[in-house]
Amino acid sequence: MTQFLLPLIPWILLAFIGITLLRLIIGPSLGDRLVALNVLSGLALGFLVVQGLLQGRELYLDVALVYDIFGFLGFLAFAFFLKNKSNGDNP
Amino acid sequence: MNPILFWAREVLALLFFLFFLVFGLSGLLGLFRFPDPWSRLQASSVTSTTSVFSLLTALLLIAPSWAMASRILIIMAFFMISSPTGSHIIARFLWFSGLPHWMPEEKDKG
Repeated sequence: MTQFLLPLIPWILLAFIGITLLRLIIGPSLGDRLVALNVLSGLALGFLVVQGLLQGRELYLDVALVYDIFGFLGFLAFAFFLKNKSNGDNP
Repeated sequence: MNPILFWAREVLALLFFLFFLVFGLSGLLGLFRFPDPWSRLQASSVTSTTSVFSLLTALLLIAPSWAMASRILIIMAFFMISSPTGSHIIARFLWFSGLPHWMPEEKDKG
């Protein structure tokens, strides 16, 4: 039963990513954009893993793991940089 | 593989796909309905962490080979660490940048 559902999941994930992108563009303040970024990295990870399973290649799962690690590091650096920019006094 | 095990995995995977849909939609709805970044942060962390985690468990259940299942398990372990921490980082950033939080107007309280 799930083999009928599995090809549908990437489309659902793409719809979620599209809606979150909408929030990323509209987002009035900086906080909204960071929030949308956090959701996007999670959904992209899900998309990679589903593709890895659909095409039966384990390589995509390794890609998903590395993506998650670097996405998290990038997010860390991003938030740290913004913290300095916003109030600028404490490091 | 005996059919009982097969159908148990199928039904459980469907259940977790359902969780993925429910949490994803509710989080997305919250992302757009809530008034300020603070509450949107709560809605978005629901979407990104819980729904993707239940999606990964569903995929873990229907993984064709042990090689894939072990990789998905590692991804789930690391995702459980990185996603809530990311949400915490945003909360700290919002806190230190002193973003004004939403307050109901005076007339609403009356």
